[in-house]
Amino acid sequence: MKLEKDDLILLYRNMVRTRKLDELTIKGLQEGKVLSFYHSGQGSEGLAVGSAACLRKDDYLWGHHRGHGIGYLIGKGLDGKAFLAEHYGKVTGSCLGISGFHFAEPEYGALGAAGTIGSQFPISLGWGLAAKKTGKQQVVLACFGDGGSNRGTLHEAFNLAAVWKLPIVWLCDNNGMAQYTPIKDTYPKDDIADLAGGYNMPGVVVDGMDIMAVYEAVEAAVDRARAGGGPSLIEAKTARYRSHSEGSPDVSHTVTRSEAEIAELKKRDPIETFKIKLLKQGVLTEEMVDQINKEADEEIIETEKFSLDSPPPEPSILNKLIYAE
Amino acid sequence: MPEINMSKAINNALKHEMERDPDVFILGIDVSGGMMGVTAGLQDQFGENRVRDTPITESAIVGAAVGAAAAGLRPVAELMFVDFIGVAMDQLFNQAAKMRYMFGGKIKIPMVLRTTCGAGMGTAAQHSQSLEAWFMHIPGLKVVMPSTPYDAKGLMISAIRDDNPVVFIENKMLYFTQGEVPEEAYTIPIGSADIKREGEDVTIVATGQMVSRALNAAESASAEGISVEVLDPRSLLPLDEGTLLESVRKTHRMVIVHEEVKNAGSGAEIAATVGEKAFGYLDAPILRVGGPFCPIPFSQKLEAEFIPSEGKILDAIKTVMKS
Ligand SMILES: Cc1ncc(C[n+]2csc(CCOP(=O)(O)OP(=O)(O)O)c2C)c(N)n1
Repeated sequence: MKLEKDDLILLYRNMVRTRKLDELTIKGLQEGKVLSFYHSGQGSEGLAVGSAACLRKDDYLWGHHRGHGIGYLIGKGLDGKAFLAEHYGKVTGSCLGISGFHFAEPEYGALGAAGTIGSQFPISLGWGLAAKKTGKQQVVLACFGDGGSNRGTLHEAFNLAAVWKLPIVWLCDNNGMAQYTPIKDTYPKDDIADLAGGYNMPGVVVDGMDIMAVYEAVEAAVDRARAGGGPSLIEAKTARYRSHSEGSPDVSHTVTRSEAEIAELKKRDPIETFKIKLLKQGVLTEEMVDQINKEADEEIIETEKFSLDSPPPEPSILNKLIYAE
Repeated sequence: MPEINMSKAINNALKHEMERDPDVFILGIDVSGGMMGVTAGLQDQFGENRVRDTPITESAIVGAAVGAAAAGLRPVAELMFVDFIGVAMDQLFNQAAKMRYMFGGKIKIPMVLRTTCGAGMGTAAQHSQSLEAWFMHIPGLKVVMPSTPYDAKGLMISAIRDDNPVVFIENKMLYFTQGEVPEEAYTIPIGSADIKREGEDVTIVATGQMVSRALNAAESASAEGISVEVLDPRSLLPLDEGTLLESVRKTHRMVIVHEEVKNAGSGAEIAATVGEKAFGYLDAPILRVGGPFCPIPFSQKLEAEFIPSEGKILDAIKTVMKS
């Protein structure tokens, strides 16, 4: 699909909203309002927003845990209210404040998130089976990190998805780091996309900091999946600006990542580079950029207020949700 | 009523439910042929999309079932031997069991994980275990263990219709036991125990393959003037506490028999429940008869020694009657 001017502006806007929500969540954590972990998504907004823009609302989505997947959901049309409230442990959160940083948004096709890295690989197969059965050409976008690619479940799922020709797009957010461990010490080749050949599926590498490159690659894979062509693998080379999780040391093994190194990464910033591109093309003007930022700031204030004003869940639900009646 | 074996009874239940509900499907290794014939013939009737042979890929079998269930289907996944659950445990206890709760009740996981347990076929240490206690410990799972063809069919239909993940454990020594099974579909509620024999003096709680041994021991005891009640919980999670406590209030004595190793087996939970809720009714300490604390040996004589025998059950009955 050729993106119209409005579509491009929306991509930009959604990246800005994602970044500001990320900053708000970090602030919430520092203020003790966000109750536990936060894995910042700064640097991967282009990947999240750009890939999700290729999806229909009824497509299944397993977002990557950077930003706890919210960039993907924003790309799919959700706002940040239920997300932040969930992180505050409030009953208005996506999952009544019970889930926290591994929440689901079933209405947006996000039927799961898991604290165990790599557990999404097999589960995505089930979504693929369901998508295939309905005959509505739904697809599954299943995301993981370079670290997650080391799990054995990847092989089982890549293999079965290919054998059963399931409509799955495997999307790797390769930011070069898994917590404190750089990829050069966990994977023997340059490109994770090379794995695809072993499963007879297409595998491509894209610049994950370039939202248009992401969009085009994911769109092609989604089209292929919708048409019954089976799974594909896309590896997006991204960057992680901050430490693995807020408050943890920003190290590679034991060596602190330098400011110069981070500054280098930020030169490829997906929001900034896209803005410059759209300004050049005349799609955006400086005034529009200001306006988009202003609106995103207002939304953030509202989002924070919504979460602050919401009550926590009642203790009485503690053991009520375990079984479906 | 026709007499069929337990394998056929479960096959029957699967067929009923697959005819009734197009969302029900089966996946697992070689399910088109079927381990012990349990799923045999179903692919001919329902096709390859509803009876899916998989590679040797247990994480993917269980995980695909979890995902399909979350997305609205009703998978029945087969794990050839319960011993293999270690390979796929994360998908069961971290994902299937927790998703409904974690996601604020917005998702349900209506799946069945069929698997086999038990010693007696010379399948040794990694194909013979009884691990039901592992599953009983996890909120969000249900654990079912039939001992007769009739129970197996009714419980399987209930398990498939249940909106929660159900671990359905079939003792492989029971597949060829015969029993009367109605041709039509019927359900047995999960969480309802069955009194297999009524008695006055002592309650034996027995599961799976141990039920028939307990019944035989009860018969021998009755020759010696001891009236034994045999209670089969049929599902271990949830446990039918009502029937359990009622029985012990009547008999005042309890022996628990299971094929799991005795240490931290399902009997520990059952004994603790009775201890907490009916201590005052007990005239004797509760005794447990279980497998010895060792991996299951291969050699026939040793394997036979591992499985609780009628003799050991009878000894336990006599011991509790003495105090
Ligand atoms: C099975 C499992 N092992 C370890 C962890 C701890 N852990 C959480 S995120 C993470 C790093 C993941 O790296 P990657 O997949 O590359 O994603 P990134 O965080 O870099 O975006 C680790 C080790 C976990 N949650 N689950």
